[in-house]
Amino acid sequence: MDLDTLLSFEWGAMAPEFIILGVATILSIVDLFAPKHLDRKIFGWIGFAGILLALASLINLVGLGPVSILYDTFRLDGFAKAFKILLLIGAALVMLLALSYKPKEGMEEYKGEFYYLLLAGLLGAMMMASSGDLITLFVGLELLSLSSYILAGIRKKHLPSNESAMKYVVNGGIATAFTLFGMSYVYGLTGTTNLIEMTNVLPNLANAQYIYILGIAFFMIFVGLSFKLATAPFHMWAPDVYQGAPTPVTAFLSVVSKTAGFVILIRILLTVFGNAFAGNSGVAAMTNFLVGMQDYIAFLAAATMIIGNVVALRQRNIKRVFAYSSIAHAGYLLVAVTAMSSFMFDALWFYLGAYLFMNVGAFAVIQLLTQHTDNEDIGVFAGLYKRAPWLAVAMGVFILSLAGIPGTAGFIGKLNIFIGALASEPAHYVLASVMIATTVISYFYYFGVLTQMFFRPAAEDEGEGGKIRVPVGLSIALVICVVATIVFGLFPNIALDFFHTNFEGFADFLQ
Amino acid sequence: MENAWIIPLFPLISFLFLLLFGRRLKENSGYVGMALTFLSLIYSLVVLFDRFNHPTYKAEATWLAIGDVQLTAGFEVNQLNALMLVIVSLVSFLVHTYSKGYMHGDDRFHIFYAYLGLFTFAMLGLVVSPNLLQTYIFWELVGVGSFLLIGFYFYKEEAKAAAKKAFIMTRIGDVGLLIGMILLFWQVGSFEYDAIFLAVEEGAISAGIITLTAILIFIGAVGKSGQFPLHTWLPDAMEGPTPVSALIHAATMVAAGVYLVAALFPLFTASETALMTVAVIGAFTAIFAASIGLVQTDIKRVLAYSTVSQLGYMMLALGSAGYVAGVFHLMTHAFFKALLFLAAGSVIHAVHTQNIEEMGGLWKKLRLTGPLFLIGTLAISGVPLFSGFFSKDEILIAAWTNGNPVLFWLAVIAAFFTAFYMFRLFFMVFTGQSRSEMKNVHESPKVMTVPMIVLGVLAVVAGYFNTPWFGTFLGDWLVEGNEALGHGHTEGPAWIMIVATLVSLLGIFLAWLMYGKKSLQRDWLSSRMPITYNMLYNKYYLDEFYALSVVKTTKGLSVLLSYIEAFVVEGIVKGVAGIVHGLGKTGSKIQSGQVQAYGTVAFVGLAVLVVVYVLAGGYLK
Repeated sequence: MDLDTLLSFEWGAMAPEFIILGVATILSIVDLFAPKHLDRKIFGWIGFAGILLALASLINLVGLGPVSILYDTFRLDGFAKAFKILLLIGAALVMLLALSYKPKEGMEEYKGEFYYLLLAGLLGAMMMASSGDLITLFVGLELLSLSSYILAGIRKKHLPSNESAMKYVVNGGIATAFTLFGMSYVYGLTGTTNLIEMTNVLPNLANAQYIYILGIAFFMIFVGLSFKLATAPFHMWAPDVYQGAPTPVTAFLSVVSKTAGFVILIRILLTVFGNAFAGNSGVAAMTNFLVGMQDYIAFLAAATMIIGNVVALRQRNIKRVFAYSSIAHAGYLLVAVTAMSSFMFDALWFYLGAYLFMNVGAFAVIQLLTQHTDNEDIGVFAGLYKRAPWLAVAMGVFILSLAGIPGTAGFIGKLNIFIGALASEPAHYVLASVMIATTVISYFYYFGVLTQMFFRPAAEDEGEGGKIRVPVGLSIALVICVVATIVFGLFPNIALDFFHTNFEGFADFLQ
Repeated sequence: MENAWIIPLFPLISFLFLLLFGRRLKENSGYVGMALTFLSLIYSLVVLFDRFNHPTYKAEATWLAIGDVQLTAGFEVNQLNALMLVIVSLVSFLVHTYSKGYMHGDDRFHIFYAYLGLFTFAMLGLVVSPNLLQTYIFWELVGVGSFLLIGFYFYKEEAKAAAKKAFIMTRIGDVGLLIGMILLFWQVGSFEYDAIFLAVEEGAISAGIITLTAILIFIGAVGKSGQFPLHTWLPDAMEGPTPVSALIHAATMVAAGVYLVAALFPLFTASETALMTVAVIGAFTAIFAASIGLVQTDIKRVLAYSTVSQLGYMMLALGSAGYVAGVFHLMTHAFFKALLFLAAGSVIHAVHTQNIEEMGGLWKKLRLTGPLFLIGTLAISGVPLFSGFFSKDEILIAAWTNGNPVLFWLAVIAAFFTAFYMFRLFFMVFTGQSRSEMKNVHESPKVMTVPMIVLGVLAVVAGYFNTPWFGTFLGDWLVEGNEALGHGHTEGPAWIMIVATLVSLLGIFLAWLMYGKKSLQRDWLSSRMPITYNMLYNKYYLDEFYALSVVKTTKGLSVLLSYIEAFVVEGIVKGVAGIVHGLGKTGSKIQSGQVQAYGTVAFVGLAVLVVVYVLAGGYLK
């Protein structure tokens, strides 16, 4: 390839990625040479500014038609843009949390790394959203994973943090192996790593029996990716890792990493498997492959919702409660994936957005309450309303939204998914009922937190010293999250209209 | 009427304002709340009078578009809504005023008023909603308001437990409502009341679905209105401050279930089975709760069971196709029951106990509360010329003409019970010997008695809006322009009125014999039939039954599942991991088998999926 071809690509479409990459690189170099006594907090603000800049440049690109660079290794279509907006907003909020994070034993000497690893992880997530080639997708996935492993263990002198990182890396390795194995089968069947080309090859496979190999590949990839989503059967790492990791990292894992997981899952599912047919033999002839897989996904979705919500009942550690809650929410999202209704994209996008705000908000409050004492018992919420009424009200909003109470974004999200599950053909009654039933179960643990905040007296020794000071970064994040949770709950059309007018239902998804 | 949407906003402003500045205002918060609810009341009255001369007004805008589905939000003023607006804002205003005296001296005075504002907002929002979804949203918000107010004295363990119980019990009903609502949406493609009625009328929905959805929605109403078997939260909810009981658990929120059935009345009339269910549950609840009320000793609990019972009456009326009777009783009940609760609050305020066995001889000391309580008691007992007499009469006629004598006689017996236990309450509290420890008993301040006087007047005159003697003005107006709701007034045989009167007088007479004149032994029931007495006293042991069955099962299930997670899943895996462990000489503490466990679970999961896939020959279908 000569230089002219190389230059003829619309590199401008990659501006958000370049900005993140640039900021991360600069920060890592400066961190090496900057004097030790320099407060690395400024890095965090630079990183935050970088994310905002990337977000601005991405919004600037929204009007642009689909762009493909180097045979789809990078592609910017409506799908990529829509989800990258979520990733960037999520990362920006997490950055605000990280800026205010002050664990007991201090982490001054490696605070710098913390910020640019977060950016590296974000870059990986963005590549996962924005590629049409298995290799780049996988590289993005690994970039995100590797950054997250280190982030989980960044409190070097904190034993649970080390444990969490270790467990995360081992499980992540297994998951990666699954995914890669599955991808290799797909490559073997089609002879290409380009997703679009695969959609053209797969319907016309030479031998109908190959469909079984495709099936195995499907399960491999799905189970491998379920690690990133934290859904059954690859959910068990989540409670341990969420508990041990520093709180901003937990927020990052439960929001950005999970969103990226869903993005790559949808991309692969719909392009590779969405168009594959079950061959032309037998009764099942001409059945869409993916439709045939619906029941399996439905089963995993149901299992995830049940496990997440039921086991959460027994937890006392607040971060474990939220780990199981995050498993449960991934289960709800899988319901939308199962249904494959005509507005699956709307439902997923809105839910992930709503989840982003309510969950980051909740973690912001958790971080504030737990970081000084390392006490993560649910009792830290006791009497919060007395100690810090605004904080309690904010947390109340997040909890209500997570529980799916009307008037909040979480309710609209659930409603979207629910209607999608019933409106699709055939309707998924069983799955919808499981969703309702498990949602009801979730009230028990969510309202447990509410009861603590509003109806329990504060612990004695925290009487006067219990005054809580909210750092600047955190309060910005909290305000954004509360406002977004309520506004998108009352006027969901703001978000959905933006979605419909700008991304045209992802018409360019397969172009 | 075009601006009726502003009515719910006043209390909302009150809520937000008090949340922001309440702490500084202290007890002046009360004036803010009172002023803003007063505006709501004035505006509701304007809307009501406007509605007499103008047709139904409805306005809405698209709120949310999912795919092709447009969900709307807006408000509607029809006869039922306009009437409810006035009832809710009136009672709320009176309770706001009353609380100024009742809550005096409480540290969290302003928070109480803020919560009251939130609740009133939600309730007013509920009654102007033109579609099911919006109704549902406010329905839940009302539940949140009730949750906060029941748990207001959160330092009392009982209050906390009651708040949680109320929320969860009503949520059980709400799940029914939600499913019914979604089913309706799925069939009709809209949450709009009008669209649903149109579809029902045109026969676009199959009879089975109509019955199913109507019953599911009724389950929601059962939860909210404390009908059997989800009634147990309502008596416990009496742990909240008494003005709250008057507002939420007598006049407004618990009536929301009745309102919902009334608002969806055309749906219910389309299904015989659904109507029958409503009627049977209503009649059963009426007599069931009344029989429990016979032996309770806590003044508020007696009133709570009487509320449950009266709500059962309303359901019975609606289920017997007596739309007007049900709504009429809803209105009169709101007034006289709010009066009774406020008067009870005034008694408790004076004597600082809720146990009626410790009271007595208060008639002379509470010169205002006593007569007012008597008015309320006469009204609820259905003594002629008081409001309850007319509305109860309507219900009995509806039950009779609908052709179900069993339900009719159940209602008559319940009326007898009602008269008995209400006068038992009255005689025990206000007559007889005054107790020695109750020397310093004073009448409540004006700010508390004036709202009671207003309600007292209404408890008498509210009946005359709709009487067989002077014209059925209210009934005719309620059903005007909508045949599906039935007739404004149904003529019933004259003997019903006589029977109703006799029965209530008999109940009063018996109560007088036992508790007034004391010529009959008080422990007549408990000594003759200890089993019956204990069963009634313990509310048929329903709470215990629930504790044993539902709660235990849920807890058991969660324990079981977490054990499965901990032992079965990890146990299997630990076997595998144990081998690994044995092979490796030392395993560091961090890698103690668990990590392998997680991976193994994933691996086993994958293996199971693939095996099923292969066995199923590719697809499950």
